[in-house]
Amino acid sequence: MADLNDGRLDLRRSSARFIAFGIVTAIFLTVLGGRLFQLQVVSGGEYARRAAADRTVDVPLPAPRGLIFDREGRPLAVNTPSWTVNVRPADLPDARTGRILARVARLTGADAGVMRERLDAFRGSPYDLVPVERGVGREAALLLAEEAEQLPGIVVEVEPIRRYLDETGEPVGALLSHVVGYTGPVSREELTTLEPEGYLRADVIGRSGIEASFESDLRGRYGMQRVERDPSGRLLKVIEIAREPEPGTNLMLTVDARVQRLVTRALEWGMEAADVSQGVTVVMNPQTGEILAMVSLPAYENNKFAAGISVEDFNVYLADPDRPLRNHAISDIYPPGSTYKLVTGIAAMEEGVTTASREWPTYACYQIPGAPEGECLFDWNRQGFGPLAMVDAFAKSSDTFFYQMAIATGVDPLAEWAHDLGFGERSGIRLPGEEPGIIASTEWARRQGRAGVFTGEVAQAGIGQNVIAVTPLQVLNAYAAVANGGRLMRPMIVRGETDASGALVREFEPEVIRTLAADPATLHTMRVGAREVITSGHAYNIRDLDLPGALSGKTGTAEFGELTPDGTLPFHSWFVAYLPSAAGATDAELAVVSFSYSAVVPGNVSAEVVKYFLQLYYELDEDLRLDPNDFSLVTAN
Amino acid sequence: MGVATATFVETFRGREWRHFDVQLLLYVLLLIGVGIVMGFSAGYNDPSAAGGMTQTVKTLIWAAIGLTLFFVAASVDYHWLRTLAAPIYLVVLGLLTLTMLVGTNLFGAQMSVTVAGLDFQLSEVSKVLMIVVLATFLSARRERIGRLSTILVAAALMAIPTLLVFRQPDLGTALVFVGILVGMLFMSGASLGWMGLVVAGVLGAAPIVVSMLQEYQRQRLFCFLDPYADPQGACYQLVQALNAVGSGGWLGRGLTVGGESQRGYIPVQSTDFIFTVVAEDLGFVGSIVVLALFGFLLWRVLLIGWQAGDAFGMLIAVGLATMILVQLLINVGMVIGMMPVTGIPLPFITYGGSSLISLLFGMGILQSIRMRSHKPTL
Repeated sequence: MADLNDGRLDLRRSSARFIAFGIVTAIFLTVLGGRLFQLQVVSGGEYARRAAADRTVDVPLPAPRGLIFDREGRPLAVNTPSWTVNVRPADLPDARTGRILARVARLTGADAGVMRERLDAFRGSPYDLVPVERGVGREAALLLAEEAEQLPGIVVEVEPIRRYLDETGEPVGALLSHVVGYTGPVSREELTTLEPEGYLRADVIGRSGIEASFESDLRGRYGMQRVERDPSGRLLKVIEIAREPEPGTNLMLTVDARVQRLVTRALEWGMEAADVSQGVTVVMNPQTGEILAMVSLPAYENNKFAAGISVEDFNVYLADPDRPLRNHAISDIYPPGSTYKLVTGIAAMEEGVTTASREWPTYACYQIPGAPEGECLFDWNRQGFGPLAMVDAFAKSSDTFFYQMAIATGVDPLAEWAHDLGFGERSGIRLPGEEPGIIASTEWARRQGRAGVFTGEVAQAGIGQNVIAVTPLQVLNAYAAVANGGRLMRPMIVRGETDASGALVREFEPEVIRTLAADPATLHTMRVGAREVITSGHAYNIRDLDLPGALSGKTGTAEFGELTPDGTLPFHSWFVAYLPSAAGATDAELAVVSFSYSAVVPGNVSAEVVKYFLQLYYELDEDLRLDPNDFSLVTAN
Repeated sequence: MGVATATFVETFRGREWRHFDVQLLLYVLLLIGVGIVMGFSAGYNDPSAAGGMTQTVKTLIWAAIGLTLFFVAASVDYHWLRTLAAPIYLVVLGLLTLTMLVGTNLFGAQMSVTVAGLDFQLSEVSKVLMIVVLATFLSARRERIGRLSTILVAAALMAIPTLLVFRQPDLGTALVFVGILVGMLFMSGASLGWMGLVVAGVLGAAPIVVSMLQEYQRQRLFCFLDPYADPQGACYQLVQALNAVGSGGWLGRGLTVGGESQRGYIPVQSTDFIFTVVAEDLGFVGSIVVLALFGFLLWRVLLIGWQAGDAFGMLIAVGLATMILVQLLINVGMVIGMMPVTGIPLPFITYGGSSLISLLFGMGILQSIRMRSHKPTL
């Protein structure tokens, strides 16, 4: 035993172990050298060939996404240069990840924890770029570039992001978010189906609104370039551009952002005055079906989505009972109430149940034929109106009159006429998420497992209650078809294609879904009735508006839900109107529907919203809006 | 009067400097030189401005700081370290905990350990300090060295910092810690039977460690078994590294001429994958020269250990030798597809201040051991 410590109290030193250690070291070094010999000398040529082949790669060239303008050429969706902070996990030293992200967070004002989450959530190759923060400003991007050397694994890239603007050019997307929609990143799951169509990792795709329904137009066609790259996958230089990218199509909406603003202002006022939590107002040109404004409140801010919405923000939207992410104008269905009497009236005249002039008795409470004595349905005023013909019955909105019409017409003919007017089917507007609605019929009842529709239900269907459910857009489009003389138009949301400055280069043609089967005289009777609603019916002072035409329309309410403590049911209120030059004329170029969900204030807040909108739109000096306490002056029916 | 006064006086007389190991310093300086040249070559075609130049300047500054520490450490009697072992251990735990806290961003960016523009990696210096701690513990075990308790306590001492770096997660450094532990236990004379049992136990736990890794770490880890299974994905870097090394041939493609590894600013390339640059630019001959330099260096380090005046010095030398050897094996082995890709610096060559300064500090301690090994003990 070697002991170099002269017998002092110390560890013995084993020469055997020193020798073993030296031998192991030598063996290890020899093995490394041998492997190098094999790689470099024996197979060197093969590796050199592989290296050369690996050096070039085809890289897609994204095409700029098409812009979206309003009908006056105001930009609504634009691409702004934005800097995205990416992490290439392979280049990020594990031990310093926290500090590097903290530094990035300090320079960009982002949240290091959120970036870490996004990085950890990534499940791909460590050589992919993982976007951890989008929408970084120019200043922060420059600071990051200066410190690039201290931030290995951090790759800052310029990429255009969507910015959504309002009518003044401010980045306020909420004005039009339900129409324009938003884009979002393609998820890994979707990529498997989208990759063959040319979508890339970390690509964006339209998620909602026009951005989704016109995705293929807006996206354009990505180009391809051949580049030389380094062993880490970094691009060095472009060798050739194999295919130039084709920019996406620029679109012009039929919507006028200024009108959209006026509608929003009117609806917001009405909803606040009547304490209503959801509301819809849509404005259309009945001649063409062009949507001039489509407002669904509450709205959401689509700019939040453009920059990559945080989980917190998204959950706030999801948890909101008023569902701000949904376009209530097309994606939700509600009982149409008395506005549906248009359908019943047309059906009854067309089926020969009545004529324009034939009078029918009305009742305080209408005894349902075949039902036990005393089982009756009230008229809304609980008194009846005496004998009425169609025009006056429509103007006074007599429920018992239309119960009789519906029962005499029969549920299936009633349903057919409803379908003819566009109810129970999607209008085909180029927006995602449209609902078809529900129209009662024998076939519908059979699908429910029932023999047929009860007579009481048929009566209720005649006044748009109970089993009928429609979208606000369907109500508007049906009235627009009657207003224009009988052409059911496809609601248009995109007017055409523009150049980059927003000038129209190609206009889309309005499309007629069908010509209504009803006799023109029948439609004329209904138009006269709609005018009477304003002049002699219960729409109160809206007739006093100094409008350039003979405003015609219909109120509606639909009770639903549970009794409030004071014994009333909450109700939806409707008002739909159009503005022809004279009573019964078919030249209206403006039609509007307003809908308020669950009003608790008596009266018809929707009529007030339309009134206020018309005042704003026609710049009327007189303000005829009612005090919310007096809303009940417009009877809620 | 104690050892302290005598040592202090003698330091000033400079008697020990006659035993200064010039060869050790020479090999170290040559390896640093290789690192500077290779780093410059790797960064030469950097499209993102003059990264190569600033990198060279920074390495020179770090080398200057490191060499100063080297001479300070050499001139101080290394036995002082033994007195300080307990506080040093606490400092190591503190530093690593600090890194972890900063890593999880508990206190925000203010605690980023940046000194004079140099981003300091605390796990690097921890390796050297842990060698001192283990040497202190093992050299005090004396006749109890052969017991199982020696192995268990040493393993426990090492386990805490190992787990801390593993949590960061820095798998490479954790492996180096384990390597140092095994190397020093072996050379301390610990029972081979007990060691074999413990090593077997640790190997049994390996699947658990693997299961704790991130998915991408795991993919990268097993690339070396079959790099061409997923050449575009997780194994991309390894495939590229093999191509680079292989295309070096006998004599290499020359410095900065733009070969496979010569592509702009690649942080990993001037750090963990620097050996690809050596192999591609200088070929088989150059690679062997670099390996030979490491061989000579290890020979000197082991020799100093053999001749050390006491077991404490011997164990420090052996620990440093193990550290250099393990890092060399992992780093070069990874580049040539013999070891999992874990990411660990190549001693003296990889661009990085903390590694270089810590290593030079360790080499300074070695010189101190060397210079005091021929001195009669008090």
